[in-house]
Amino acid sequence: MIRLSGRLRASLIIGGQGIRARKLRTFLSMVSLFLGVLAVVVVQAGAEIANRAMLADIELYQGKDGTRQMYLSPEGQTVPVALEVLRGRTDAVAMTSTRAIIGEPGVKPINEGGGPIDQPGGYGPSMMCDANGCYPIDDGTSGAPPGQAVELQLVGLTGDIRQFRPFRPSQGRWLDFGGQPSLSPGLVLNEEAAKAFTRYHVPAEMSVDGATANPTPRIVGVIDDGGYQPTAYVRSDELMNWLPTTSLGDTRSGPGLQVLMTPSAVEVEHVLRARLVAAGTPADQVRVTTVETLKQRSTELALMRWIFLGMAALVLLIGVAGILNVGLATVGERIEEFALRRAVGTPRLLLAGIVLAETLLTGLLTAALAIGAGVVGLQLALTVFGSRFPSLEGTAFPWQAGVAGVIAGLVAGILGGLVPALRAARIPIATVMRA
Amino acid sequence: MTTSPLLVPPPPAAPPLIHLTGVTKTLKGQDQPRTILAGVDLTVHPGDSVAILGRSGSGKSTLLSLIGLFDRPDGGQYLLGDRDITRIPERKAAALRSAEFGFVFQRFFLLKHLTAAQNVAMALVNGQGWLPRRKRKAKVLAALERVGIAHLAKHKPPRLSGGEQQRVAIARALVREPRILLADEPTGALDTETGNLVVEVLRQATDVGCGLVLVTHDHDHAAKMGRVLHLSDGLLRPAGQRVVA
Repeated sequence: MIRLSGRLRASLIIGGQGIRARKLRTFLSMVSLFLGVLAVVVVQAGAEIANRAMLADIELYQGKDGTRQMYLSPEGQTVPVALEVLRGRTDAVAMTSTRAIIGEPGVKPINEGGGPIDQPGGYGPSMMCDANGCYPIDDGTSGAPPGQAVELQLVGLTGDIRQFRPFRPSQGRWLDFGGQPSLSPGLVLNEEAAKAFTRYHVPAEMSVDGATANPTPRIVGVIDDGGYQPTAYVRSDELMNWLPTTSLGDTRSGPGLQVLMTPSAVEVEHVLRARLVAAGTPADQVRVTTVETLKQRSTELALMRWIFLGMAALVLLIGVAGILNVGLATVGERIEEFALRRAVGTPRLLLAGIVLAETLLTGLLTAALAIGAGVVGLQLALTVFGSRFPSLEGTAFPWQAGVAGVIAGLVAGILGGLVPALRAARIPIATVMRA
Repeated sequence: MTTSPLLVPPPPAAPPLIHLTGVTKTLKGQDQPRTILAGVDLTVHPGDSVAILGRSGSGKSTLLSLIGLFDRPDGGQYLLGDRDITRIPERKAAALRSAEFGFVFQRFFLLKHLTAAQNVAMALVNGQGWLPRRKRKAKVLAALERVGIAHLAKHKPPRLSGGEQQRVAIARALVREPRILLADEPTGALDTETGNLVVEVLRQATDVGCGLVLVTHDHDHAAKMGRVLHLSDGLLRPAGQRVVA
């Protein structure tokens, strides 16, 4: 061990002396290698950031990886039972989804069918499909004159959903689930819905399918939920103040139900399942799926990454050729030095180690510079383009890119130094005698 | 057959440092193989100083490279102390070169980018054991002191004279306190006065029991050694002894 340590130290000391003695050559080697290592760093960082950005966007509407979700149709006692079981829980949240129109009563909404605000005519009237075909739902606006009203999807929540779907705050605040429910439902709009309220002067009256009356909503905040459909989020209990229990079981106008659970919420899942089955929901309809975005996308992500890494490897190869060229030329110049070192007892292996140490140190220095350039470049890119891409907010330089840069530097050092190292080790000692 | 007392001096109490018997070496080039050494006998005891004279191409440097384990003989036997190292593998030879031998060449082979002290330290930082920096520095300074140029430790070779550079090379050879010093025409690139100084420095090494084998063309320098041998026709003979056909 001491022997190995001595050789390692000797090769590092002599390698360092060699680098200092040939600063210009080392610099030229680094220049040729820099682009290659930088390419690897950028590709790795880009892939990681793109991966995270894509996942972040998907998480907004599908939920984080590992989230367990249950979809239930609003039949019988399904919705009331689910809301009762999940009330006040933090490890599981129920989402009811229903249609609402905010604005002038008895008019055709600006975006009929709840479509995007910028889409002229919206989606058209809401449709209902069954075994006999599809037909428009009579929501009371057919034949009504156009007016100042916005149709949106109203999502009732039993708790904070952001642990599963990390919505990005835009304005105002998020829903406060503490305290008594207000008779004036507090709404958090998504950005598409907020767009409508910015453009149109809409009266504060909300018509909800199946509600006993039109409440006056309060808009408390705006978030980015990644959706293109105008949506408003509300506390379930505030919504339920206006929805009679009978309307909750209406398969035509009643709210759809989705339950999101943490992977560890096994107990609540069992209780909910048992209560639903006891309330008459067929057991085979109570199905739970797990969000596995990363797994589902892994193949395409890996393919994309390999393609870019292949391109980066080609650039790196050019850098390796540069360092190899300089290395061979340097060994040619240092024949006498190496012969002399062998004459004073330096083993062949250590001579090879000295040359490799020089190229490895060069590779590592280059990697450090390339990683530094990557970090600075990312900061600049985020400063310039960050506001255009919300998913890039808070992006840090991925450590994987740093590791890839160090590995690329080491690999380039080994590939570029191996042949010169072998040549150095084969230099005959008698060279010093014949000089 | 009687053996010349110059080749094998009366055996002292200590065993010989090196003992070559019938060593042969043939160089295989593009032309016909050429026998350089045809059966060399040589014994060196501690404190011995041996000068080897001979014409250019007579095989002096080849003999030195065999003694210094740069190369291996084709035939004969080579004992280092009582150990047969005729066919020693390269890995062990490197260790022996580091531990037992010191080398001085005609050209000084100093690395221009290193200081005199770092050039001397080269023999210590060679992968054969490890000395902490402080001990290494002390040894280097002692070696430079021994050749009288400790004050030049931080100077780089281009700032040193030829004689000073050769003394740095001698310090490099002495820093590991070798048992045998091999010098291949160490004064070849120096003026007479400086050459005399260098030979004196080399000879002084024998005062502490180091064996010295000096290859030279200079008869005056050879005369300062304990024995003078002449290499011709692949054989080593006492200087002045004529070859009988």
